[in-house]
Amino acid sequence: MILGWLRSYLLMLKWHALSYRSLLPFFMIIHIMMALGVVIGISLFMPPQFSGFAKYLITGTPTLILLTTGLVTVPQIVAAARLEQTFDYMWSLPVPRIVYVAGDVSVWFLIALPGVVISLVVGSIYHDFTLQVSPLIVPAFILMSIAASFVGYAFALAVPSPRIAQVGSQVLIFIIMFFSPILYPAERLPDWMVAVHKVLPMQYMADLSRGTLTDIDVNLGLAFAITGAWCVFALIISWLIITRRH
Amino acid sequence: MLLEIKDVCKVYKGKVKANDNISLSMAKGEVFGLLGPNGAGKTTLVNQVIGITVPNSGTITIDGVDVIANPAFARQACSFQPQNQLPVYLLPAINAIELVGQIRGMRKADVRRRANELIDRLGIGQWRNVIGQNSTGGIRRLVCFCMAVVAPGDIVILDEPTNDIDPLRRRQLWQEVRSLAEAGSAVLLVTHNVHEAERVVDRLAIIDEGRVLGSGTPAELKASEGDSMRLELILEPGMEPPPLPDFLLETVASNRRMISKVEKENVVSALELASKLKDDGKVEEFSLGPITLEDIYIRMVGRLEEDEETPEGETK
Repeated sequence: MILGWLRSYLLMLKWHALSYRSLLPFFMIIHIMMALGVVIGISLFMPPQFSGFAKYLITGTPTLILLTTGLVTVPQIVAAARLEQTFDYMWSLPVPRIVYVAGDVSVWFLIALPGVVISLVVGSIYHDFTLQVSPLIVPAFILMSIAASFVGYAFALAVPSPRIAQVGSQVLIFIIMFFSPILYPAERLPDWMVAVHKVLPMQYMADLSRGTLTDIDVNLGLAFAITGAWCVFALIISWLIITRRH
Repeated sequence: MLLEIKDVCKVYKGKVKANDNISLSMAKGEVFGLLGPNGAGKTTLVNQVIGITVPNSGTITIDGVDVIANPAFARQACSFQPQNQLPVYLLPAINAIELVGQIRGMRKADVRRRANELIDRLGIGQWRNVIGQNSTGGIRRLVCFCMAVVAPGDIVILDEPTNDIDPLRRRQLWQEVRSLAEAGSAVLLVTHNVHEAERVVDRLAIIDEGRVLGSGTPAELKASEGDSMRLELILEPGMEPPPLPDFLLETVASNRRMISKVEKENVVSALELASKLKDDGKVEEFSLGPITLEDIYIRMVGRLEEDEETPEGETK
């Protein structure tokens, strides 16, 4: 059975990778623009004495790329698939439905990966900052990506109207960009927002990046645990919805 | 029987009765037509067979296995061509076909050979590596057909497989359907194209408003009309339908087309009337022939189908 699932997973990986191939240049451009916009553009807002925040910008950019891919792009695509009833065909194939979703989530990580690498390279060169790369960066970024994509999937599947899911995911961009402690430390937020972000996954995802790339003091174990918990929670919600029959 | 559908009822939210006590069966090697107008409940029935939707009551078995309880079995047993062509919008044709073949358990080398054979026979070689959104609707539908038949299940379900397809490739597609049946698959053909279905199916069911109105072989269904004939009149453009005598029975009119049943003893009178209408410039052309499956369909459903040359069907 495990071999069967693995075979199905690899075929679904190929299915999604080939499906998104024509969109790949588009996403590459978006991610590179986001990398340049954040690591260079936002630093222009800051007076020189705030240069200490460069490490937040550099480590925050890959988090932003992975989060916006998972929480914005994925829901857009899933909501469109709901509107077009694509799932009705996919669910007719002899593949476990969660394997289809797992293949999709995996491919979104691969799509976001070049942007993540480019943002780190550009950021560290532009700000003349040496990254202290830990081997934990690999599981950290993989977990961050799949957690974000599963949350995006669950959100787009759970919202009753796919059109509302599409609009909602657009609103999320602003929450992620400006009101989440990704590009700056959490203590800059008002107390009530700090409390909210103790539950939401964004801050912990940012910590995964900071803790595996810089000397910023973060509780990496907690970051892995909370991000992992969100991943499992979103996976269960997605699984419950896609296995439900009308 | 390979597929047994017994007393299936499906009511959607809002209390729309999409399927109302439907019972059908299909044997191996049989091409079975499911005919009915849009909204008749055909897709709902298919979705229940492949396990996407669950009936409110009734049973569905494939090879004796209850597929309501075992949807995974249904997905393996059935290969399916959906009416929309979205699965192939972003995938190159050959990849889409090969991947479905592999997903259905075929070895890569075998699926490649079979995919290329299908592509060649259906004459879509020049679109082999083209993604769906860059080809035409007809080509996308043929690619979806190939996806459904590259590794055929015990049951192959084709939902409107020939829409948008040119006549030559259409003919080839029907040959493939017959080959599938000869190789042992049961083919469930969902369509509202009665003309084509009559030539291809072994048996059929006509459904409307969720109910089976009639089923059997085309000959059995036509036998209910005895030895009566049908007169078809095509009116001159802009001409009002002329009043017809009583011996033209159960006339169905839609735009320029009028079809009436004629009892055997009135055939000569009908022919004389049609000739006169043509001479008077009221009728462009007419034909008198044996009852067709379309006539049976029209009588049962009570209207002409929308995609005929008469867009707004009405019953007289």
